[in-house]
Amino acid sequence: MELNLNRVDYLQVGVTSQKTMKLLPTAGRKATQKVAVADHDGVITCFGMKKGEAIPVFKTLPGQRVSRLELGGALGTAQEKIFVAAGSEVRGYTKKGKQFLSFEANLAESINAMHVAGADLFVCASYIYNHYCDCKDQDYYLSGDKINDIVCLPAENLGRIVPVLACQDRVLRILQGSELCYEIKVPGPPSVLELKDRDGGTEGEILYGTTDGKLGLVKIMASSPVHRWEVPNDKKKGGILCLDSFDILGDGVREILVGRDDGTVEVYGLDTSGEPTLRFEHVLSESVTSIQGGSVGKESFDEVITSTYTGWVTGLTSEPQRDEAGPGEEIRMSQETQGKIAALRAELEQLQLKVLQEREKYQQSSQCSTAVSAVPVFSINDKFALCQEDASYSLTLEVQTAIDNLLLQSDVPIDLLDVDKNSAVVSFSECDSEQPNGNFLLATYRCQANTTRLQLKVRSIEGQYGTLQAYVTPRLQPKTCQVRQYQIKPLSLHQRTHSIDQTRPMNTLSLIGQFSFAEIHSWVVFCLPEVPEKTPAGESTTFYFQNTFLGTQLETTYSKGEGHFKSDNISTISILKDVLTKEATKRKINLGISYNINEDSVNHTLKMIHPKLEYQLLLAKKVQLIDALKELQVHEGNAEFLIPEYRNILEESAQLLGEYQRQPAHLERLYGMITDLFIDKFKFKGQNVKTKVSQLLEILDNYDLNSLMDFFNEV
Amino acid sequence: MLVPIFTLKLNHKINPRMVTVGKFDGVHPCLAAATQAGKVFIHNPHARVQRRQPAYRLRHSAQDSDISLLNINQAVSCLTAGAMGPGRTGHALLVGSQSTLLAYDVHDNADIFYKEVADGANAIVLGSLGDIPSPLAIIGGNCALQGFDHQGNDLFWTVTGDNVRSLMLCDFTGDGKNELLVGSEDFDIRVFKEDELISEMTENETVTSLCHMHGSRFGYALANGTVGVYDRTARYWRIKSKNHAMSIHAFDLNADGVVELITGWSNGKIDARSDRTGEVIFKDNFSTSVAGIVEGDYRMDGQMQLICTSVDGEVRGYLPASKEMKGSLMDSSVEQDLIRELSQRRQNLLLELRNYQENAKAVQGSPGPEGDNQMGVIPANTQLQTALSVKAATETQKAHIELNISTPNDTIIRAVLIFAEGIFEGESHVVHPSAQHLSGCIRVPIIPPNDIPVDLHIKAFVGGRSSTQFHVFEITRQLPRFSMYDLHVDAAGSQPTGRVTFSINDRPQRVVIWLNQNFLLPEGMGSPDVTFTCLRGGGLLSISMQSSGEGPSGSFQMTLKTDNMDLAGDLVQSLASFLAIDELQVEADFPAYFEELRVTLAEVDDYHKVHQKLTADMADHSNHIRTMLVQAEDARLMGDMRNMKKRYVELYNLNRDLINEYKIRSNNHNTLIAGLKSVNQAIQRAGQLRVGRAKTQVITACRDAIRNNNINALFKIMRAGTASS
Repeated sequence: MELNLNRVDYLQVGVTSQKTMKLLPTAGRKATQKVAVADHDGVITCFGMKKGEAIPVFKTLPGQRVSRLELGGALGTAQEKIFVAAGSEVRGYTKKGKQFLSFEANLAESINAMHVAGADLFVCASYIYNHYCDCKDQDYYLSGDKINDIVCLPAENLGRIVPVLACQDRVLRILQGSELCYEIKVPGPPSVLELKDRDGGTEGEILYGTTDGKLGLVKIMASSPVHRWEVPNDKKKGGILCLDSFDILGDGVREILVGRDDGTVEVYGLDTSGEPTLRFEHVLSESVTSIQGGSVGKESFDEVITSTYTGWVTGLTSEPQRDEAGPGEEIRMSQETQGKIAALRAELEQLQLKVLQEREKYQQSSQCSTAVSAVPVFSINDKFALCQEDASYSLTLEVQTAIDNLLLQSDVPIDLLDVDKNSAVVSFSECDSEQPNGNFLLATYRCQANTTRLQLKVRSIEGQYGTLQAYVTPRLQPKTCQVRQYQIKPLSLHQRTHSIDQTRPMNTLSLIGQFSFAEIHSWVVFCLPEVPEKTPAGESTTFYFQNTFLGTQLETTYSKGEGHFKSDNISTISILKDVLTKEATKRKINLGISYNINEDSVNHTLKMIHPKLEYQLLLAKKVQLIDALKELQVHEGNAEFLIPEYRNILEESAQLLGEYQRQPAHLERLYGMITDLFIDKFKFKGQNVKTKVSQLLEILDNYDLNSLMDFFNEV
Repeated sequence: MLVPIFTLKLNHKINPRMVTVGKFDGVHPCLAAATQAGKVFIHNPHARVQRRQPAYRLRHSAQDSDISLLNINQAVSCLTAGAMGPGRTGHALLVGSQSTLLAYDVHDNADIFYKEVADGANAIVLGSLGDIPSPLAIIGGNCALQGFDHQGNDLFWTVTGDNVRSLMLCDFTGDGKNELLVGSEDFDIRVFKEDELISEMTENETVTSLCHMHGSRFGYALANGTVGVYDRTARYWRIKSKNHAMSIHAFDLNADGVVELITGWSNGKIDARSDRTGEVIFKDNFSTSVAGIVEGDYRMDGQMQLICTSVDGEVRGYLPASKEMKGSLMDSSVEQDLIRELSQRRQNLLLELRNYQENAKAVQGSPGPEGDNQMGVIPANTQLQTALSVKAATETQKAHIELNISTPNDTIIRAVLIFAEGIFEGESHVVHPSAQHLSGCIRVPIIPPNDIPVDLHIKAFVGGRSSTQFHVFEITRQLPRFSMYDLHVDAAGSQPTGRVTFSINDRPQRVVIWLNQNFLLPEGMGSPDVTFTCLRGGGLLSISMQSSGEGPSGSFQMTLKTDNMDLAGDLVQSLASFLAIDELQVEADFPAYFEELRVTLAEVDDYHKVHQKLTADMADHSNHIRTMLVQAEDARLMGDMRNMKKRYVELYNLNRDLINEYKIRSNNHNTLIAGLKSVNQAIQRAGQLRVGRAKTQVITACRDAIRNNNINALFKIMRAGTASS
């Protein structure tokens, strides 16, 4: 990587949301740019750097938390007006900090995405899209799932402004007026959109990033999209939170800057054919909420500016930092930094005094019998998402200050997996599930100093559902802890998909009864992840799902009084049947349940599992041999006498071991699923075959697809 | 940023903790490490020796001319190198296994000595100890420590509480002579001045490594991922990681004249920490677990390098930082880090301040019902009450100590976290009642597995029933050492037969104070005569004190009655340290235990005989094999296929017999080891009943008795404390 960027910290503000930091344009080419950043305290800070010190241009008073910050201005002029969305209000400021606009959008919910273009203002609350021109209502659209972001292609491309919504259900929705023009399917839930080259380029292209870390470029045409490229997330980096286009290499082509929620900052270069390649990577310790290319620290040195969750504005600058530290000198701390440190220390001392006073006051209040202690709620940035590659959930928790400890409690059996990046010391506490407390997992994480971000992995079992609770205690006086709850759904390993293969042998489950559309929707929400909370518009709806572990599929179609579920996996149907019956009974609704079991589907599922199982068995066998083979190699001095198969194992030993370690208990999980399949198949026939499970396990130990299928058919 | 000055890939696996550097020819430092298949490899990049025919133990690697392999034919368990005795220019290589110790001269390719060691060698250290004139190779095995001089003479022997895992020599007392530090599986670090135990530090996991830093300061590592530094008996600092510390070493990496503690971790990380604060001043990463860290002048340029090795055979050498780097070995600049840290502190203070301000607002403003639920508002005068009490076993629950935590008002306790060392499976215990069972009072049953004093760091989450945010109350309570003893005595229980008696010259009140401090007793216990039920394992414990009326200040006869010899030892040690007694002789009798020991001793004798017989059989068989193989090969060369087949079938059968015999032998060996271990433990227990010189005397006398196979004398010593009289 020829790109070498050095990190410089500029300023810390409060906790920031996604896309709340922008660089203001400069008049001349040579000057440095100002930074505008807004935080959860509602404060907008605009500052520039002078001699390594942050000089504020203006700072607004605290208010409601700011969810977006965009730049705007009359078309054709410099885009230097600052627009922020806070609550359901949009405010506008000049670059000097004078407020010129305050617009109440009159939405029931607060705004979470915004785009500004000339006199046009586009805002989105969770499901609602609104377009205003000169603050007058123009268009309105209700989306089927949560809207995460919005951009608009400028009028130059298609002759009109084209709004593009990034929706949680894995589509980009292209609008025309108040109507949906068409949908673009993307490989994951899109979290951020940005115009390529900041203006859509000559072709009208849009960059998107997804919550599962994928990056793509799509060209928007009048009635259909063209997918340009997609960067998969092979290295399991975090989800993308922000994007920008900037020529940091100085080669005349704008690179793509990417900020992720695991702190990774990336620069992708585009080669002559327009394909992206990774050119630079740097890891910060917390979520990168905004990213911009520009020049802030020193003129004529380009840099990547980022803002992070805890409010740090940091630059990765092309300005060399090291060479000034000459050899042989005692302390090479520049005057500027010394001054900065002295000022900081002085401020700290004052603060400390003040805090001591307040602390005493607080302590005294404990003597009084009428006083109460109420500590404000601290903000936690959390994400609980299914990871497609290894069919496990990853839980990320981020707090503004260092985390002291974390308590995880679950009332369903789940496995906690080790994550390399996580340095906290985990300790499992004994829990008797028979006790009335109903705990299946009690684990504490004691964090190392300065840990603000924790990542864990959790493996769930389909059919077992309940709640996972995380109690987060930060290192902050007075000590408080906050609990977060995460639902483990009955079909927890399923993921939404755009379509399914209808040719597979399917089992169906049908429900008929006196229930409303909203009721059955709430049951589906209860069973399956990634279904919008809101009842969909219209009479009936269909969702498609895929099991991330086995690749089996599920189709749900339901309307008022009726529900149909189709899956090639009999266990999926069995789980649905159990849970739906239970839910309906809870609400005292009479359900007519009918199912249609396709015998072929069992063999089909077994065949789907077969290659996975065979691969895993082979892998386990190979891994078992590695040590013995290595010993032989040492003993004989070389490996030439071995048969090629064994030599191969020796050569690939590192990869094999790595793979084996990356997917712990994979084989056990597959065995578990086959056992479930076996039990469920006969459950629908009214037979209880639990006594035969030991026989099944015996067959699995000497695995052969045909004998397994025979066993399934014979019993 | 400090970068390695050399990196080697040796293509041999390295067993963890079995790496050393030695100048085997007296000049060139070579890296020696244990690898798979009972071999030790020696990496010698300096002297390109001619390829010799494989002779005796040494064989040159076919792949790499720098590497020679040494055949030990047994799984190596520890390794070191150093100057062994007078008249030798080169260093000796010492290799220990589960049953042998080999001192080897690599340069001459000859054994210096080869010893069978029944207790095994888990750890080894080479150096001088106390007043013993010649340097000793000291090995630590199953509960035993043994030291050999260069001729293989056994000059030092003593026992310790459990299997030894780490050894270190340093001048602990500052008297100019080395003491031996022993880390063992019973979590203790013991300091021996020759064979006298002078200090004991209790940790909370198996002590896997010890390393001398400077003066009386030393570093240690535990099996649970803790590393830290002690100065004498006081712990300076420690840190805990989720990874395991594989190797620790002291090295002055930043060239400031003070050594740092270098730790190699199981995830391949290496870090250097300041000996004073534990602050990381340098880190680097290997792709696989670190195997060992050593130092040596590997480039032969007069500068010592820190040499780190990974289990995959990767070797990296680091030179201490040059003057220019001025201690900043890390990637990022110091100023940036400092500013960041200060800003972070400022941010924390601001947040704390905001908390108080918001709190004040909430106090002044009328408490609105909306926000309260979320914030978990509690009365400011809420104070948690904690109480410890002993609970005897009931039908549903085992005997335990109950920790009762309650709030004084209608707030609830959502969950309780207790962080404590050594009494839970992990480092913490959690009580999290389900939503239906929330209340203002939580009872936590605690069952400490052994008698150690423990600090319970309690964190209780207190709030309202539907709160999502809770106040965290942090309280520390101490669990006394002998807490699992209940004052309620079942009259029907049989009296213990074991007893210890000794006399002290102290007032009974002092003993009462000791009782109150170390047992969970109700208020107002005034008499030193008490009887307890042991909740762990049952049985009674009674303590009584009688005036013996002799002497001017009044001497008292203490009697401890229990069948548990370990408990008696712990009580004696605890009481002696409380009353500051540094010399105590006791009379002891544990008939049941002694009978058990007598049986064990007889068994050990039997197993020993079987062992010898089996070894002889094996030698016999191997002779058979040799002849049979020759016959079979003869038949093959002669083209006599029928005979060849027959011979090979016989050979196959014999081989199977050998394998079976091996299994028997290894079973026999394991039982033998277990027997020997319990004998060693018995001696240790007998010692533990005494204090000071009496203790050392008992241990030495017991050993002599065992050596002379005088079992009756052994029991006499254990009872009376001395062999004579």
